[in-house]
Amino acid sequence: MATTTTTPMAFSGRPSVNWTLTFQRVITLVVILLLWQFALMSGLLPKITPGVPDIVTSIFTVVTMGNFWVGFGYTLFAALAGWLLSCAIGVVLGLLIGTVRPLDRSAALIVEFGRAFPTIALMPVMMLVLGATTNMKITMVVLAAVWPVLVQSILGSRRLDPGIVSTATVFQIPKGLWFRKVLLPSALPFIATGVRISASIAILAAVGVEVLTQVPGLGRLITLAQEAERWDNALAYLFFAGIFGWLVASLLGRAEGRLLRWNRQSDD
Amino acid sequence: MSNTESVPGGTLTRVSEDSLLRVTDLSLGYGEGADEKRIIENLSLTVGNGEFVSIVGPSGVGKTTLLKGLSGLLKPKAGQVVVGGGALEGPHRDVAVVFQDYSRSLMPWMTTRENIAFPLQGRGQKKPLRNKAADEALDAVGLGGQGNKYPWEMSGGMQQRVAIARALAYNAKVLLMDEPFASVDAQTRFDLEDLVIDLREKLGVTIMLVTHDVDEAIYLADRVIVIAEKPATVVDVIETGFGTHRDQVATKADPRFQDARGRILTRLRK
Ligand SMILES: Nc1ncnc2c1ncn2[C@@H]1O[C@H](COP(=O)(O)OP(=O)(O)OP(=O)(O)O)[C@@H](O)[C@H]1O
Ligand SMILES: [Mg+2]
Repeated sequence: MATTTTTPMAFSGRPSVNWTLTFQRVITLVVILLLWQFALMSGLLPKITPGVPDIVTSIFTVVTMGNFWVGFGYTLFAALAGWLLSCAIGVVLGLLIGTVRPLDRSAALIVEFGRAFPTIALMPVMMLVLGATTNMKITMVVLAAVWPVLVQSILGSRRLDPGIVSTATVFQIPKGLWFRKVLLPSALPFIATGVRISASIAILAAVGVEVLTQVPGLGRLITLAQEAERWDNALAYLFFAGIFGWLVASLLGRAEGRLLRWNRQSDD
Repeated sequence: MSNTESVPGGTLTRVSEDSLLRVTDLSLGYGEGADEKRIIENLSLTVGNGEFVSIVGPSGVGKTTLLKGLSGLLKPKAGQVVVGGGALEGPHRDVAVVFQDYSRSLMPWMTTRENIAFPLQGRGQKKPLRNKAADEALDAVGLGGQGNKYPWEMSGGMQQRVAIARALAYNAKVLLMDEPFASVDAQTRFDLEDLVIDLREKLGVTIMLVTHDVDEAIYLADRVIVIAEKPATVVDVIETGFGTHRDQVATKADPRFQDARGRILTRLRK
C-alpha cells in the first residue's frame, strides 16, 4: 500500500524561501543604516561614532586578524559549553520537578526566585571563588542560561496527557525508558523554546562576563578596542556576536521544525 | 499462547477452574475517607480462558472505572481481582488494554511500529525481535506495511487498529477493551468489530470488552454481563450461544440475538 512515502504532502521538503519577507528585512536594514549615517552627519550622535562605511570596512579587516578568531573561539567555547550544560541540567531538573509532586511544591519558590535574580550580581562572588578563569565564565553562562530551559521543562512535563500515562502504566514501561521515551518527547515542544532562548542568553552572558572581567574573548576585544578608541572595530565585534546569535537561533528553529513535526500535526 | 476451549460450532465451555480472570466482591471508587465516592460495589464475575465477555451498561455507570480496576490502574476499595493464579496488585504482564480514546493512547512522536514495539522494549526485547513482532501485529490487524507512518497520518479507525495491534503484540492472556469503537463511524465500527471477532477466532485471545452499545455487546460476545445502578453491580448475565463465527446481518437477525436484546434493554430501562 502506502510504501512510497511516509512524509505527508504538506511537509515535503524544506519551507520555500519567502522573497517578500526577505525583501522587507533588507529594506528595514538599509533604512536603519541610513538613519545611523544621517544621525551622525546631522550631529545627533557624538563625533567619535564611526560611520556606516567605516564599520563595514572594519568588519572586513577584522576577519583577517588572528586575534579576532582567537577571541571569537574563546567566547564560542564558553557559550557553547555553558549552553549545553544549561540544557542538560535544565531538562533533567525540570522534568523531575514537574513530575515528582513533593519536589514541584518545594522547588516552585526557588525557580521563581532564580529566574528573576540578576545573575550579573553574582559575578564578584564568582571571581572570588573561581578567579578570572574560563570555568568562571562557563559557570556564569550556566547561571544565566539555565532558567529558560528549567522553566520550560517544568511547564512541558505538566503537559503529559493522562491517557498516555495510563497507557505507559498498563504496559509496565520501566522508569528510565518512561523518562526518555514518554516524558521527554512529550515535553520537547516546550523545552525547545527554552533551549532557543537559552542559546541567545548564553552568548550574551559570555560576552558580558568578558567585558566585565577581561577574561579573553570577544568581550575583552570590545573593551580593548574601546580603550584604543577604535569604535569601528568595537562595533564590528558586536556585529559578529549578533550575527552568531542570530545564526544559532535560526539553526535551532530549523532543527525544531524537523524534530517536532508530530507536534504541529497532532495539534491540528 | 492460550488455546480456545471451543467445541467447533458450539458455545465455549467454561469450567470454573479454567477461569483466567476472576473478580470477587470488587468495590471501586475515587477519593478517600469522607470524600470517598463508590462507583462499583460488590461486583463478581469470571472470564474463562478463550472466552469473549461483553460488559454493557449505561453511560457514566462506571465501565471505565471497572476496567481501570481490572488493569491494575485503580486499587480496589474491597474485594479482589485474580489473573492467572495470583491476586492483581497493579498493572500485570498478562493484561493488555485498548483504551476508549485512541488519540490519547498512541504516542504521536512514535511511528506505529515504535508504538507497538514500545511495551516490548520495556520488557527488554531486542530491536529486531520487537520490530518483527510489531510488523506481524500490524499484518494481523490489516495494516501491513504501514509501520513507518505516524498515528496522526492515519484515520481514527486505523489508529484504533494500531492500538489493538499493540495489545496483541504484548502477548497478554487477557485483552481488556474500553469502548474501543465508540469514536469511529458506523461502517468502520462494523469492520473493527469483525476484525476483533476474526482475531479472537485465529489467535484464541481472551477478551473482555466494555460498551454502552447493547447490539455491539451481544454481537461480539459469548456472554454479556449487564451492569447498572449506583453504585454499579452485575444485574444480569446472558449467554449468547453464537459460537466463534458471526455475521453482521445473519447474527443480528438471529432470534436469540433479538431475545437477548429485548431482555437487556428492558433490564436497563428499569
Ligand atoms: N478520576 C475520577 N475521580 C473521581 N470521579 C471519577 C473519576 N473518573 C470517573 N469518575 C466518576 O465515576 C463515574 C463513572 O465514570 P466512568 O468513566 O467509569 O463511567 P463510564 O461508564 O465509563 O462512562 P462513559 O460511558 O461515559 O465512558 C462517573 O460518575 C464519574 O464522574
Ligand atoms: Mg468510559
